[in-house]
Amino acid sequence: MAADWQNRNAEEEEDEEEMDDTSYKTIKDAVLFAIDVSSSMLAQPLPSDDKKAERDSATSAALKCAYQLMLQRIISNPKDMMGILLFGTEKTDLKDGDSTFQHCYLLSDLDVPSAQDVKQLRDLLEDEDEASKILKPAKERPTMATVLFCANQIFTTKAPNFSSRRLFLVTDNDNPIQVKQDKETAITRARDLYDLGCTIDLFPISRPDQSFDRANFYNDLVYPTSPSDPDAPVTVASTTKVAKSGDGISLLKQLLSSINSKAAPRRALFSLPMELGPGLHISVKGFILIKRQEHVKSCSVWVGGEKPQIATASTSHMADDTARVVEKTDLRKAYKFGGDTITFSPDEITEIRQCFGEPVIRIIGFKPLSSLPLWANIGKATFVYPSEADFIGSTRVFSALQQKLLKSKKMGLAWFVARKNAAPVLAAIIPGEERYDENGEQTAPPGLWLIPLPFADDIRACPEQPKEPVTSPELTDKMRVVMEQLNLPKGVYDPSKYPNPNLQWFYRILQAMALEEEIPEKADDKTIPKYRQVEKRAGPYIVEYGEQFEAEFAKANQSSAIPSRAKTGSKRPKTSGADEDDDEVKSKKRIKKIKVENDSDELTDKQMADINNKGTISKQTVAVFKDFLASRGLSTAGKKADLVERVQDYLVEKGV
Amino acid sequence: MAGKEATVFILDLGETMGEIRYGRKQSDLDWAMEYVWDKITTTVSTERKTALMSVIGVRTDRTDLQGVIKDDEGYENITVFSELKAYLLPDIRKLQGNLKPSSTSSGDLLSAVAVAIMQIDKATSGKNGNPLKYDRRIIIVTDGRGQMDTSDLSGFTSKIRGDDNPDAKIELVLLGVDFDDAENGYKEEDKDDSKEQNEATLREFVEDCGGSFGTLAEAVEQLQIPRIKETRPTPSYRGTLTLGDAVNYQSTLTIDVERYPCTMVAKPPSASSFAARSDLAGSGTQSTGTVMGDEYPMDGQLSAVRNQRVHQVDNPDDPGQKMNVESDELERGFEYGRTAVHISESDANVVNIETTPGLELVGFIYADQFDRYLAMSRSNHIVPQRSNPQAKLALSSFIMALYEAEYYAVARLVTKENKPPLIVLLVPRIELDTEALIEVELPFEEDMRRYKFPPLDKKLTVSGKAITEHKDLPNDELIQSMSDYVDAMDLSTFGRDDEGEPTEYAKPEDTYSPLLHRVSQIIRWRATHSDPTLPLPGPPQILTKYSHPPAELLQNAEDQLAALATAADVKKVPPKTKGRGKRSRADAEKPLSGLDVDALLGNPKRVKIDATNLIPSFKRAINATDDLDAIQEAADAMAAAIRKLVKNSVGDSAYGRALEAMRVMRDEMTEMEEPEMWNSFVRVLKKELLGGELGGDRREMWWKVRGSRYGLVDRKKCFASGVTEDEAREFYKG
Repeated sequence: MAADWQNRNAEEEEDEEEMDDTSYKTIKDAVLFAIDVSSSMLAQPLPSDDKKAERDSATSAALKCAYQLMLQRIISNPKDMMGILLFGTEKTDLKDGDSTFQHCYLLSDLDVPSAQDVKQLRDLLEDEDEASKILKPAKERPTMATVLFCANQIFTTKAPNFSSRRLFLVTDNDNPIQVKQDKETAITRARDLYDLGCTIDLFPISRPDQSFDRANFYNDLVYPTSPSDPDAPVTVASTTKVAKSGDGISLLKQLLSSINSKAAPRRALFSLPMELGPGLHISVKGFILIKRQEHVKSCSVWVGGEKPQIATASTSHMADDTARVVEKTDLRKAYKFGGDTITFSPDEITEIRQCFGEPVIRIIGFKPLSSLPLWANIGKATFVYPSEADFIGSTRVFSALQQKLLKSKKMGLAWFVARKNAAPVLAAIIPGEERYDENGEQTAPPGLWLIPLPFADDIRACPEQPKEPVTSPELTDKMRVVMEQLNLPKGVYDPSKYPNPNLQWFYRILQAMALEEEIPEKADDKTIPKYRQVEKRAGPYIVEYGEQFEAEFAKANQSSAIPSRAKTGSKRPKTSGADEDDDEVKSKKRIKKIKVENDSDELTDKQMADINNKGTISKQTVAVFKDFLASRGLSTAGKKADLVERVQDYLVEKGV
Repeated sequence: MAGKEATVFILDLGETMGEIRYGRKQSDLDWAMEYVWDKITTTVSTERKTALMSVIGVRTDRTDLQGVIKDDEGYENITVFSELKAYLLPDIRKLQGNLKPSSTSSGDLLSAVAVAIMQIDKATSGKNGNPLKYDRRIIIVTDGRGQMDTSDLSGFTSKIRGDDNPDAKIELVLLGVDFDDAENGYKEEDKDDSKEQNEATLREFVEDCGGSFGTLAEAVEQLQIPRIKETRPTPSYRGTLTLGDAVNYQSTLTIDVERYPCTMVAKPPSASSFAARSDLAGSGTQSTGTVMGDEYPMDGQLSAVRNQRVHQVDNPDDPGQKMNVESDELERGFEYGRTAVHISESDANVVNIETTPGLELVGFIYADQFDRYLAMSRSNHIVPQRSNPQAKLALSSFIMALYEAEYYAVARLVTKENKPPLIVLLVPRIELDTEALIEVELPFEEDMRRYKFPPLDKKLTVSGKAITEHKDLPNDELIQSMSDYVDAMDLSTFGRDDEGEPTEYAKPEDTYSPLLHRVSQIIRWRATHSDPTLPLPGPPQILTKYSHPPAELLQNAEDQLAALATAADVKKVPPKTKGRGKRSRADAEKPLSGLDVDALLGNPKRVKIDATNLIPSFKRAINATDDLDAIQEAADAMAAAIRKLVKNSVGDSAYGRALEAMRVMRDEMTEMEEPEMWNSFVRVLKKELLGGELGGDRREMWWKVRGSRYGLVDRKKCFASGVTEDEAREFYKG
């Protein structure tokens, strides 16, 4: 989210609200893992044949999580920092020759991760010899105060002005006190971190024989609010599951899930009054929970030196007529109109844009949820959650509204101005119901969602179509049976099952190139339908549908004025290489291709070959080539010359 | 969208048009011009070269036919202001100067119609005199108070109707000032006979021509309704909707479909950046626009701006310094974390995933269990390909089956070769005469941010116990009054349709984009009101209609709202309580256990600032004491530490730490209401930074201080400050 504010393109620039002072602080996140290395943390689970059995020691599970998070953050938060600190190691190394912090080992320094950091961590996870050298518990354990002060120093020097700094503490020791004084110094050091603006996020692990009790020690160290965002909703401490080894779900998976929920710092997009009626306001905050993740934009790399370096670009404005440099403050906005420009003073621009009033979510009434068809969508929804910051009692009123909307299946309609200068929109306010998975982890947060609605100006008409032919009840039924075979698991769409193949591929390649490794051949694309299952589960029903379809279509053709289209001899090529002989056998099973072999504007192989032989191929239009190629499953990209070449290649291959 | 157009406006400029009647604030002509300017500027704003316009004045003082008709006889007191052409801003300006009420009443409106017909004929005929494909239109605005010669009317009528040549027919629109209007129940009292006569003649004439005859009042009122730009639909995907794999398996289903936008946000016109022209001060001869004898800085005074990009890298020979590099030493690349990966031209495509176009079904889901907020894009229509009855029938069965089974389909869409795949949702849309699928994008795993939020219907304690009664939870009374209020404010039958029947209020089709129409309204307004001292008009009421609940509905829900407000008992948080003292967030500063950390530390009265633990020790030091001297001491120690950080910084290595320390010190001093302790420090620091007194050239540090706005604390930020806002602003300069 943080990046949203900074990566606006030029056109949106004028939408920018006036930032207040605090926003000038770098909105970035730094996460430092502090992972306990002790004999119990390193204990290997008992070997087992069970596929689900535990395979990792607690430390190695934590390192795997850190590795996952590092890969994930390179994609999702490319500007954010991450580091890994091991404590309790025999070795001491903080990368700067300092040995103040005994038995602390900085595995990767707090910084934006580099490809080398990724490689180093991966090697450590894959190479047991290497791992055993580092992951060796010290005889004398460092005190928690030492660890916390070490983190303090790392945050202070490496990420001095990051607005979000978080210490992810992974340990299985709920009472790391040797002498009584240790506890007091630890509490002081934890308080230091809090005053510094850093948060401690505890990821406790239970030992098989003893469950982790926060009350023993850590509740004195962990604060319920984040100092950088004091009125953010408090995280639910008690739902952080204590991971139990050998308990069905693996320790790694549990830890991953709880770390994932903290992967990105939560930051409100806006903080606004919500007006339920004249004079009745509550305060709410908006969060972006769904946003299309894009890969990084390309940058310019300077290759003139020994090592490639990223070049930063800066833009200056020059007046076209005199080539003099224009300061940003001397630029004026003007609208093009009738071959000339129309200008307004900056004050007038403000007056024009802000004539619709202050930022607000103003409910103007309610409708049944059914008045929100799916087509009425223009972009992503924003999640809204109450805040007591400006109005005391907001939470209970918000809760009453959310519960009422859920119960009566209603939605609110609101006039929504997100920021000063933002274009007002009408938005549907729909209730979001809290849901949990089988492990009690929240999968859907409770709150309201704001869905911006289209205006009349944004609605495009559906292109006209002929009325006929329409389906018959029999044909619909056959189709319905096909559909019933192919429900997604539980009949819902679960985004977590579908990683973005393009994004994954992009970073996979980039990683390989950065580490000069071999480039993988094929992308792992989870969005490709499971063809085998379709065939297995729905195959026969598709065939039945096809037969019904042929019958219906013939009937429709007879009874109505639909011009009958004689099939030409051409067929779409079968890539599977099915022989003509097979055709007979398969004809029963064969499914129609509802593809019109349009005789007038699509050419057969033979016709194209004739044209080619006559030497008139280049006289054909691009459209002809595209149809020809497309119907043969070939690429239609490129200029005309490319298309001609591709057609000719195809003809040669076909031997016609 | 639209084809070629030729529109002629005939404006009655007779002296009677200059009068102000019936308590209106403007003359009849000015009133009429509201309509005419709106029409003209709307056309100009489309920048269409194929929309031709011209304006003819009738009952003008002079006669000027611009050669449309050679012989003036019978065409006296008619002025053709321009040929039929695509209007530009200078044409509007020129016209503005000309359109004034005359001091005559002579001039025949019907003769002007003849001129208009000729003008259109001339401009819209091909080489052989054949009429070209044009939408021809004549728009007349008159008060009906002139003289008319009705002798040749039937000739006009037949010409306008296109009796001889239907391709050359002309649409005729007449708007009368204070004409009787039975439909809207308007009748002008004490109408003089000649006007009554003229109204009747004109009505008959227009109706004979198949044109529209209306009143100006009605036309001006309708200007309020924003016009919607229509866009020719263009498919964004043409291909197949498939189930199964046609290559390797036998049972597949393939339907030829096309994808068209269903919603597409219409953006307001965007402004471009210009620089004020520098050469004007000197010669003033180069202005490109037509300056209309007025001194308003409207046009021709701006020059285009070109952006120049410079690339810089860290100088490898001189750490901490930047150097410019040439563009031929640059290659395209990407950042992987902080590692730069450059990609040579030949490898450019390696990062792109290879895909083939297609819309492939992944599976089906229950419609009623779909979370509506997952739809994350604008929507599209999926329809069968044109003139393809097989596709039509197949898609029809698909849509109907989805509808009957209450399913939605999930599919993978690749619109063009090697475009990234999308996961989309397909939903049936069945209306009177259309069947289509609606398609919206769904999120991938990476698009979901899985933050957790506390439950709203219960409260969890630190130990994990659930509480059901709490100040953050609604009690029964609040739940009931909320329910009553929501039900009372129902919009589903509050609207009225054309027949006056109850219908849904504020359907998307009835709402207009406020900002879009506001910006274009004001641009068009400024085109005809170039005086910069005029106040801008407010937004038309229709654009703000939905900014508040409808008054009538609110009135009916008054009791419910009052009950809700009582049950809700919401209190505004008072602005921060004035007066020095300890912060009130002491509660929040306790760890989960509620332990009093200060007490644990023995509530020390003085805390020494520790350079290795700078910020925490500073915070503790000033929290520990109320004594001004002690606070000053802490501030001094902090200031010294900041100076030391800057002084010992190699290049900019410690600037970040120094800035963070400055931020904390500034915030704390502001909160303690001791801004002077900060201000005196930052004044000296600025001098030291710019004067090179802190270990060399520290100007960059100053720029960072300025960029972070860590300057003087002014009166607006803290009432105890003696620094004015201007002073604070001035401080950043230099």
